[in-house]
Order: sequence, then structure tokens, then C-alpha cells
Amino acid sequence: MSWADLGGAALRAALPLAIWGCGAAAYGAAKRDGRALASSRWSALLVLVLVGLAILAMEGALVTHDFSIEYVARNNARATPLFFTVISLWAALEGSILLWTIVLAGATAYVAWRGVREMPRLATVALAVLLGMLAFFLLLVTTPAADPFVRIDPPPDGSGPNPLLQNHPLMALHPPLLYLGYVLFSVPFAYAIASLILGEGGDRWLVATRRFALVSWALLGVGIVAGSWWSYAVLGWGGYWAWDPVENAAIMPWLTATAYLHSVMVEEKRRLLRTWNLSLVITTFALTILGTFLTRSGVVNSVHAFTQSAIGPLLLGYFVAIVVLSVGLLLWRMPRLADQGGIGAPLSREAIFLFQNVVFVAATLTVLLGTLYPLIAEAISGAQLSIGRPYFDRVEVPLALALLFLMGIGPQLPWHGASRATLERQFTVPVVAAALGAAVAVVIGPSGVFAVLTYALAAFVAATVVQEFARGVRARRVLHGETAVVALASLIRRSGRRYGGYIVHLGIVVVAVAVATSQAGTVQIERTLSPTGSVQAGPYLLTLNSVRDMSEPQRELVVADLDITGGGTSGHLRPALVFYPNSTQAIGSPGIAASPRDDVYTILAAYDSRAHSWATIRVLVIPLVSWIWLGGAIVGLGAVIAALPPPRSRTRPVTVARVTAARVVEP
Amino acid sequence: MAEASAGAPSVAPRRILVILALAAAVLIAFVAVQNLASSAVYYLTPTEAKERHVGPGTPVRLGGLVLPGTLQYDAQSRTLAFAIGDGTTNVAVVGNGAPPALLREGTGAVVEGAFAEDGTFRATSVIAKHDERYAPPSPGTTPSHRTSP
Repeated sequence: MSWADLGGAALRAALPLAIWGCGAAAYGAAKRDGRALASSRWSALLVLVLVGLAILAMEGALVTHDFSIEYVARNNARATPLFFTVISLWAALEGSILLWTIVLAGATAYVAWRGVREMPRLATVALAVLLGMLAFFLLLVTTPAADPFVRIDPPPDGSGPNPLLQNHPLMALHPPLLYLGYVLFSVPFAYAIASLILGEGGDRWLVATRRFALVSWALLGVGIVAGSWWSYAVLGWGGYWAWDPVENAAIMPWLTATAYLHSVMVEEKRRLLRTWNLSLVITTFALTILGTFLTRSGVVNSVHAFTQSAIGPLLLGYFVAIVVLSVGLLLWRMPRLADQGGIGAPLSREAIFLFQNVVFVAATLTVLLGTLYPLIAEAISGAQLSIGRPYFDRVEVPLALALLFLMGIGPQLPWHGASRATLERQFTVPVVAAALGAAVAVVIGPSGVFAVLTYALAAFVAATVVQEFARGVRARRVLHGETAVVALASLIRRSGRRYGGYIVHLGIVVVAVAVATSQAGTVQIERTLSPTGSVQAGPYLLTLNSVRDMSEPQRELVVADLDITGGGTSGHLRPALVFYPNSTQAIGSPGIAASPRDDVYTILAAYDSRAHSWATIRVLVIPLVSWIWLGGAIVGLGAVIAALPPPRSRTRPVTVARVTAARVVEP
Repeated sequence: MAEASAGAPSVAPRRILVILALAAAVLIAFVAVQNLASSAVYYLTPTEAKERHVGPGTPVRLGGLVLPGTLQYDAQSRTLAFAIGDGTTNVAVVGNGAPPALLREGTGAVVEGAFAEDGTFRATSVIAKHDERYAPPSPGTTPSHRTSP
């Protein structure tokens, strides 16, 4: 049996099973039929096993270079290194959808076996929703829309992966993280829909899936940072964010998910914003589908866009169906979703969270407008146009600063409202810090109003976070007699959600400062050098030693050997142009000397192809850019701390959830 | 409505909140629409640019094929010059800086910039255009995936 037979058969067996499981779960929930539910749970598990088998078959085909499968022939070659062969699973459309399917199957099986035990009825309906969505993706991978196992007459060698995708190891990390983030949000969505179908009107679904939403959000966020790092290290343009439609497609659900993570707290603590939270979950999920549609159907021009395929109309239909059904359900159940009480004073935590939500939604809508406007304009007038960076920078930067400001205020205010004494106690130190931050920016930092504001607000937020940690540690030292280190550790362990959240805020501050500084303070120089000629860029002196050809099994390179000295560093940089056999054009590969203070980013822009007697080198000195990646890691760390269950509830999570749930649902 | 719950505020603060939110929404919408209009850069073929009489100084993006035998790069002055065409109309393009790595004669290119008084195109950015498989577009096709009328 060939790999194609095995993989194709597994997927074709999984499709009817998913449909069966969906029906069985729905029947089981409606009739409270235990046997139907059991049948659905086993279906979910079997689907996971079968899709896993298909993944293994695809990996087997890739590793053994089975070019009778079109996907392998198009995305692999005998000379492709093993590492890039393995990750070619997500190098193109069909494999990506297969990856999506396995993540969704995993989440579905988790709900079937863990979720159903915790809250049987709600999770059973959610299981039906998830299996229905899984059936849709299985439909994609078993029809020509995205069948990864289509066979062809095997060519002697494959054409190899897309050159851009085999240039950097970050490719192993960035797409799976994004897909995990995208797909795991299906779980909160499915529970929200289940809650609407059952007409519960309570907050059970939200409590049950809070952790899923957090993990999904964190994976999406870290995936976005990994993607910008990849773009920085591979695409050779000296930037990391271009407001490309694919980047926008990833950032939009992240923005609404961030809003959701905050408004969830308002619902938990104050029983407010129920309809709003459901709307945010539905919007976030719909945006993940819309993003996939935009980037995978070829309707927008983008570096990332794959070739046009039949998947476009199917994804669009899926998106429309999701939006229409969800909004219909929401409108139908709205009468049961009345809030208990109202928003407090304007200076209360819930009011600031609500305001923050409004800004996040505004940011999402404006990004969406800029992304879709070219499509709208073309549909109306036939004109092709693009919306450039200026639009996004001018609209989103002020919104980001507003969010930074609210991030400093919200957590420091009590629920319901704050007295003047509270305000003084909470904000005296941060306001002083903000003034210092502004002073630092003016004296040594980058110029520009937005950069100074960023520094001031960053110092403001950082001061609130440090103040919170200091107060928490002091309280534990007084109450429990712990040392400072032990007190800090127990704070993080026992109140992980709160202090993990503060760490996330700190990570965002680091990213904000790094982005503002690198955007405002980059120095760019371009020179044509002959060997042993040199160019000065800031404190660094770069000397061109030689321009030479290199050959590797799967590619040819033209490399400029540069020596870098000065600014406390010395070393070699090798910016290159890379030629792949399946590409008629060269890929620029930058040479980067990274340091905490700044990155020296060199690009081989042009060279003398006859005698190698000159090379045009572009040099960018980009301050603080490494801190963006570090900030992303801090955000991820904070999210892990916030997602970990606190020590005591680890033994009895079910009971705690039930008690909370019971309190909410009882009439 | 459950206005009576403990600590619920009077109507006035809520009205302030609503007014604040609305004002913010209007402001954001205004800024967005303003910038949308000013950031829109039309994407034309050389023939379309000629037909629409795109004036000197108007930012625009042109897409076409780099005509064989026209690509010149003076390494010392870092002046880049080439011509792009769509099969009907040709435009001479002048830019500052090294050509992008992917730029080759006979392949697609997108140049952003504006026409000068003398009819040459002053490019502020030059992008080599390619699809997923890096096949050069066949001669005579318009630069994007869809043909505009």
C-alpha cells in the first residue's frame, strides 16, 4: 500500500465518522441518550487517530520522497534537507489545511473526553458543533479543494519547497503556532454556541473555556511575533511588520481575543457584558476563518498568498454560514442574556475595561477596513489600488498608545469605582515614572512625538506593574514571614492569573518600546564597495573582503564576506543572494549581527556578476529590535503563568467548576 | 433592567461613558476615512496610466514587465534605470538604489512613485513581482491576478 492510499483512505474514513459523531452528539444532547453520546465520543477519538494516520502518511511520503503524490513533488526534492522536508507539511495549501484538521481533531477529542466529564450537557452540544466543523475540514481534504494526496505521474525529482520557506528554521515554529492559536479558539466558540443553543443565559461556557481562550490567544500572539522575526531574518528588507494582508489576518483575531480576555473578567466579577462577550467570541472565530479565506484564496495580493484554488468559495461559504448562524442564534437568545447590574463610575475597572474593548474593536475594524478596501474599491469601480503603510501607521499607532495608557490604568482601579485616596495611592509613583520616561526619551532616546509618548506610557505601565509586585511581596512577607524571593514565587504560583497578567503587560511594554525605538531610530546607508573597501554605519565599520560563489546541494549562493568592527563588536557577516533550482529569481538572505543595543542588518543589494569586482551593500543599524522577540517571549511566559492552575485547585478542578457553575445557573 | 443592584451608579456616569465612547468612535472613524483616502495608491498598467492622464507628482503604482535590454544599474552612483511595458505602452523608470534581488529583465515588476514632468517615472520603490512558484508572468499579461477593464 502506498502512502497516498493510506493517507487518502484514513481521511475518507474520518469524514463519515465525523458526520456520524456530530449527529450522535446532537441526538445524545437532545434526548439525553448516553449511548449516542458514548458513540460520539468514540467517533471523535477515532477521527483524531485517523487524521493522525494521514499526517504520518504525508510525513512518510515526504521523507521517502514519494513523488507520485503531487504535494510531495511540488514541495520537496531529493536534495531538500531532512529538517525542511519534515516541516514541508505546512509549506503549501493542502498540507496547511491538513495541519489545521489535526489540531481541530485534537481539540475535539479533548472536549469529548475531558470536557464532557466536567459539564456533560453543555460539552455534548459543543462536541456536536466541533464535529460539524471538523467534518467541513475533512470535506476540504477529501475533495479536490485541498486533497493533499492527489497522485500524479512521478517526476524524477520534485521541485522543492518554496524558497522562502526553506531559508530559515523559524519556519518550523511560526505556522504551527498560528494554526494552534487559530484552531484552539474553536473551543470557546463551540461552547458559546452550545450555550446559546441550550439557552442557558449564564456564564458557564465562559468559565469552562477561559483557559482555552487564554492559551489560544497566547499561541496566536507568540506565532505573530515569530512570524515577524521570520520576515525580518528571511525577507531581507530590514523590517518586521508591513501591514501585509496576511499579517493583518493574524493580528485581527488576536486584537478581538485580547479584548475578550479582559471583558471576560467583567462578566465573571460583575455579571455584565454577556451579549458583548458572546459577540467577541463569535467575531474572533469568524475573523480566523475570514483570515484563512483572504490568505488562501488569492483574493488579496500578498507575499504569502498561495495560488488560487477551489478552496476560496468553500471557505467563503463556511464563513458566511458561521456568521449568519451565530448572529441569528445570538439575536434569538438575546432576551435571556440580560446583565445583572450596570457599569460603575467612569473611573472603575469595568468602565476602563469596556473602554479598552471599544478601542480594541476600533483597531480591528480599521485594520479590516484597510485590508478589504482594495477589494471593495475594485468591486465598485474596477480600479486596483492598495492601502499603504501610512494609513495603518497613522490610524493604529494612536490607538496602540491609547491602549498602552488604558493598560496602565485599568488594573489599578477597583471594581465599581475609585475614591480620590485610591487614585493617589495607585498613581503617584506611575505618574512620576511617566515623567521620567518622557525625559529619558527626550534626552537619549529617539525623537518624535509618538516615541516620547510611548516611552512615557511604557514607564507608566511598568511602574504600575512593579508597584503591584512590590505590594504583593510586602504583604506576604508581613503575613507569612516569607523571604522576598519565596514571597515572589508564591505570588506567581498562587495568583497566577493576576500576576501572569502583569507579566504579559510587561512584555507588551517591552515590545512597544522596542517597536517605537526601532521605527524612529533606524539608520540606513547604501554603498557600492570594491573588495577591502569599507563603510561606516553608526559606530560600526564594515569592510568588504570578497564576493564569492558558493554551492550547496540544494542551492547556489553569492556571498559577500563582510568584517564588522567597532561599537564593541567584531565578527563576520555574510549577506547573500540565494538561487534555488525551482526559482528563476534570487532570494536575498541578510547578514545580521544582533545585540541588545542594536542590530547591524546587511543586505547584498547588487553585485558584479562578471568579475565580482564590486558589491552594493545596504546597511541598517536598527536599535533595540531584538527586544521585540524578547517581549514576545515575556508575553508567552506570562500567559503560561496565568494559564497554570493554582496549586490547590489542581486536585479538585471538577468540583470547583461545578460549584461556580451551579451558583450561576440555579434559578 | 437590574439597575437596583448594589452600588449601581446613577444614570449620569453611564451617560458620560456612552458619550465618551461615541465621541471616540466618531473620531476614530473620521481619522480612518481621512487616511484611507490619502493613502490609496492606484495600481495601473502603463496603458491605463496613459489613458487616465495621471499627472506629474501623483503617487501611483505601475505594474509591467521589465523590457529586455533596458535594465541598467550604475554601481557607483547607485542609479537604477529600466523600462517597463504592458505590450502596448512603455515607460522609462529611474530609481535610486540597488535593484531588488528578484528584479530581472523579462520578468514582472511593480514600481511605486510618480511621473516627472518629462514623462519618466521616478520610482521610490521597486518590487519584483512573482507568484508562489516564482514563474515569471507571461509577456502581455497585466501585473495582477485579475484583469481590470
